[in-house]
Amino acid sequence: MSHDSHHAPVASKLELAPERSDLGLLRPDRTTGWSDWLTTVDHKKIGILYGAFAMFYFLVGGVEALAIRTQLIRPDNDFVTARMYNQLFTMHGTTMIFLGVMPLSAAFFNFLVPLQIGARDVAFPRLNAFSLWTFVFGAFVLNASWLFEFGHLAGWFNNFEWHKNLVYTDFAPANGWFSYAPLSGTFGQADASLHAPRFTGVGTDFWIIGIQVLGIASLAASFNFICTIINMRAKGMTMMRLPVFTWMTLVTAILIILAFPAITVALIELMFDRAFGANFFNPSAGGQPILWQHLFWIFGHPEVYILVLPAMGIVSEILPTFSGKSLFGYPIIVFSGAVIGFLGFAVWSHHMFTTGLGPVPTAAFSLLTMAIAVPTGVKIFNWLGTIWGGRVRFTPPMVLSLGFIWMFMCGGFSGVMHSSAPADAQQQDSYFVIAHFHYVLLGGVLLGLMAGLYFWFPKIFGRMPNATVAYIASGMVILGFNLAFGPMHYLGLAGQPRRTHTYHAGFGWETWNFVATIGAYILGLGVFISFVNLVWTAFKGKKCASDPWDGRTLEWSLPSPVPEYNFAQAPVIAARDAFFEDKHGGKRIGFENDGGEAGVHMPSQSWMPLLASAGFLFAGFGMPMMAMGVPHAGWIVITGLGVLIVGIWLWALEGPGGYMLKTPAVAGSPAPTETAAH
Amino acid sequence: MSHSTEAAPSPAFLAEETRRYHHFITLALWLAVVTGAEIVLIFLPVPMPVVLTVLSLMSAGKFFAVILWFMHLIYDKRLLFWIFVGALMLAFATFTGLLALLSPDRIDPKWFS
Amino acid sequence: MSENAAAHDAPTSTGIDHKKLIMWLFLASDCMFFGTLISTHLLYRKLYPAGFTDAEGHQRFIQNLFNIELTSFSTFILLMSSFLMALAVSAMHKGQIKSFRRNVLGVIFFGLIFLGCQVFEFTHFYHQGLTIQNSVLGSTFYVLTGTHGTHVAIGVLWLILMYFYSFTGKLGGHVGALDVEVAGLYWHFVDIVWIIIFTAVYLVEYLGPNGFWGTGLPAVTK
Repeated sequence: MSHDSHHAPVASKLELAPERSDLGLLRPDRTTGWSDWLTTVDHKKIGILYGAFAMFYFLVGGVEALAIRTQLIRPDNDFVTARMYNQLFTMHGTTMIFLGVMPLSAAFFNFLVPLQIGARDVAFPRLNAFSLWTFVFGAFVLNASWLFEFGHLAGWFNNFEWHKNLVYTDFAPANGWFSYAPLSGTFGQADASLHAPRFTGVGTDFWIIGIQVLGIASLAASFNFICTIINMRAKGMTMMRLPVFTWMTLVTAILIILAFPAITVALIELMFDRAFGANFFNPSAGGQPILWQHLFWIFGHPEVYILVLPAMGIVSEILPTFSGKSLFGYPIIVFSGAVIGFLGFAVWSHHMFTTGLGPVPTAAFSLLTMAIAVPTGVKIFNWLGTIWGGRVRFTPPMVLSLGFIWMFMCGGFSGVMHSSAPADAQQQDSYFVIAHFHYVLLGGVLLGLMAGLYFWFPKIFGRMPNATVAYIASGMVILGFNLAFGPMHYLGLAGQPRRTHTYHAGFGWETWNFVATIGAYILGLGVFISFVNLVWTAFKGKKCASDPWDGRTLEWSLPSPVPEYNFAQAPVIAARDAFFEDKHGGKRIGFENDGGEAGVHMPSQSWMPLLASAGFLFAGFGMPMMAMGVPHAGWIVITGLGVLIVGIWLWALEGPGGYMLKTPAVAGSPAPTETAAH
Repeated sequence: MSHSTEAAPSPAFLAEETRRYHHFITLALWLAVVTGAEIVLIFLPVPMPVVLTVLSLMSAGKFFAVILWFMHLIYDKRLLFWIFVGALMLAFATFTGLLALLSPDRIDPKWFS
Repeated sequence: MSENAAAHDAPTSTGIDHKKLIMWLFLASDCMFFGTLISTHLLYRKLYPAGFTDAEGHQRFIQNLFNIELTSFSTFILLMSSFLMALAVSAMHKGQIKSFRRNVLGVIFFGLIFLGCQVFEFTHFYHQGLTIQNSVLGSTFYVLTGTHGTHVAIGVLWLILMYFYSFTGKLGGHVGALDVEVAGLYWHFVDIVWIIIFTAVYLVEYLGPNGFWGTGLPAVTK
C-alpha cells in the first residue's frame, strides 16, 4: 500500500520522488513558494500564517478604532455617519477579538506547543491546516461585509432588482460584537416567503455566518491541541513539568470546546429566526430576547478568559527567563489558571445585572465574580515573587511583560468594581466599562502578545528585532494606551454612554475625549511601528544565536529557525525548565533511540484541508446574499456545503501519506533496505 | 498490504471480545425493557413526582449504560470517562442554572399574541 | 481522519489513540451543544406550557399532537441500531470484516428508518398546524429534533461511506478497527442524546392529566 512504501530518507523534501496519494493524485510534498504555504501541514508554518493574518487584522481593527476616536475628538463631530459609527465599533470589537487576539494566540499555540512538549508535530496536522484556512475564510467573509457596504455607498448595486427591494441597506454588521436580540433578530409574523420583518440589514447575516465559521475553526484547533498536549508529550514530560504557556494553552482549549457550542447554537437559532421566520428571539411571538443574552454570555464570559489566559502563559515564560529565576509557585500558577477558567463558566450573568435577574441570582453571580479576583491576584503575586530578588534584564519582552502586570492589575481593579451589582448598575453602558475591558484586553492581552512576539521572534525567524525601535514602540504603546483609556474611567463616571456616535458640548466631556483621541493615535502609531519592526526583522533582521535570551524551555534547545522535524532525536525530560536545567543544572536532556537511522517521519502536505475550508467561503457568501434577495444565492450555499463534504471525503480517502527526512544525527548513515515496500 | 501481515488477535483478546459481545446482547435487552417500562410508566396512575424521579433515573441509567458498555468507557482509560463526564456535569449545571433563571411569573403575555 | 501515519506506531503519552481521544473531546463539546438546544426547548416549555395555536386559530396542546407510539418505535429502533453498532465494532476488533459489514448495514438500515419516522413525524405535525413560524414551540421543537436528525444523517452518510470503503480492502488492522470504533462512538452519542430527548421532550408531556408543564396560561398575577 502506498503509504507504507516510504521513500528512502532524504535531506530535503525537494529531493523526494513524486508520490501519489491513495486517490492517485500527486501529493504536494515537493512544492515551494505559494503552493507550499497553501498545502503546508507544518505547525510552525501554520503558526506563522496565523500570526501574519492576525497582525494584519490587528491593523484593520486599529484603523477602525482610530476612525471611532476621530469621530469623538470633538462634540457634534460628523467625521462618520451614525450608521457608519455603529458599523465601526461592531467590526472593531469583532475584528480585535476573533481576528486579532484569538488567531495571534493560536499562532503561539501552533508554533510553541509541539516544541515545548518535545513533539514533532501536532496530533492531526491536516486538521490543523483546516483550522487555519477556515479561520482565514471566516475572517474574509466577515470583512467582505465592508466591501458590500462600500459598494452600496458607491451605488454599484442601484440597478439591481434585489437592491431596490431591500428595506434596510446596512451591509456591514452594526449590532455590537454581541449582536443582542431583538435588534439582531426579527419581529412580527413571517410572510409567505418565511421572512419576518427585521430591525437590521444583511450586515447581521454576515456577522452570524462569519462568527459561525470562525467558531468551527477555533473548535477544530482546540480539539487538536488538547489531544496534542495530553497525548504527545516527550518521555519524562509529565503534566507538572509542562511549561506554563502549554498549560494555559490546554486550559484555553478546554474553555473553547466547552464555551463555543453555546454560541454555535445561539447563532443557529438566530439564523433560523432571520432566514426561516422562526421565533427563538422574536418578541411578537413570545420569543425571549433575554435568552440570547444568556446564551451569548455563557459563551462570552469564558471567551474573556480564552483571550487572556494565553497572554498570562506568555508572561509566565518571559518573567522567569529575564529574572534568572524559576517561576515562583509553579503549581499554584497552573492551578489558578485552571480555577480562573472554570469559574469563568459560573459568572456569565454579571454582564446582565441591569436586566433584573432577581436578588438571589444577582447576589450569587456577584459573589462568584468577586471570587475570580482571588486566583488572579494569586497569579500577580507569584509573578512578583518571580521577579523579586532576581537579576532582572530589561529587554523589550521584559518591559512589555512588566507593563502587562501593571496594566492588567488596573483592569482587574475596575473589574472588581463591576462585580458589585449596585456599582455596576451605574457603570453599565458607560465609558467606564470601555476603560475596564481595554485595560484588560489591551493593557493585558495586547502587551502580553507583543511581549511574546518580541520574545519568540528570534526563535521563529532566527533574527533579532531591533531593540531601540522596540523600546520606543513599547513606550509609545504604554503611554498612548494610558492616555487613551485612563480618561475614559472619568468620562464613564461622568456619564458618557458607550456606542453613541457623538455627544453635545457642555457635559464636561470635551477635554478628556480630546486627550483620549490623541492617546489613541500615539497607541496606534506605537503598535504600527512595533509591527513594522517585526515584519522587517522577519525578512531583513540581524541573525542571532539559537538561544539569545538564555531560555528555559525546550524550544530554545533547537536551532533557529527550527528545522521541519523539530527534534532530530526525541528528547527525554528530567525536570521542569528542562533546557535551563540542562545548561546550568544537573539534569541533562536525554535523547531517545527512536530508530533515528530511518530518519524522521514527516506528514504529507495536502490540498484537501484548503479545499474543505473553501466550502465555508461559498457558504459564507451565499447566506448573506440569500438574505439580500440575490437570485439563486441559495445555490452558492449548497455548492459550499458540497465542496466541504467532498473536501472532507477526499481528505479521508487520500491516506495520510508521509515521507522520511534525514536528520543531522543520521545524515551519514546508509539508506535502509526497503523491506516494507512493494 | 500491510495489515495482512499484522498478527492475528490473540486468544485472550478474542475471549475478552466474546465476553463483551455477551454483555452487549444483555444490555440491548435491558435497554429495550427499560424503554418499554418508561412508556408504560407514564400512563400509570402514580403521583407525578414519583414518575418524574423514576423516569429521570431510568433515562440516566440508559445513558450511562450506553456510554459505559457500548462506548467502552468501562474498558478504556479513566481519563476518557472524566473528559466526557466533566463536560456533562458542566453542561448540566449551566443549563439547570439557566432554566432556574427564567420563570413564567416574570413573563407578561400581553406583549405577544 | 488526518492522523499522522507514524502516530499509531509510537505509543502516546496516555496510551489512548489520538483519534479516540479527539472524538471524546468532540463529544464532550457536543454535550454543551445539545445542552443548549435542549434547554432552549425546555425553557420555552416552562414559560409557555399552553402549546400553540394552529392555522384555524384553535389552541392546541402538545399532548394531543405527539404520537407516543411512533416515537417509542423510533426510539427502540435507534437503541437497537446502537446495539448493532457495538457488534460492528466488536467484529472489527476480531478482524471479522464480513460480520462487520452485516452489522453496519443493519445500523444504516435502522438509521434510515429513524430518519423516515422523523420525516413522517414532521409532516404529520406540519399538517396538524405546528410550523416553525407560528409558535416558539414549533421553532424549538423542529430545530432541536432536526439538529439531532442532522447528526443521525451525518452518521448514516459516514457509515455508508465506511461500508463501501471496506470493499477496497483498505479497512483493516488496528487503524481500521480504530476508525470504526470512532464512528461507533459518534453513533452511540447520537443515541444517548435521543435517550435524553425522548424523556425530556416527549415522555414528560404525558405525566399526570396535563403533562409535566401543565396546560394553563402562564401564571401571571397582574
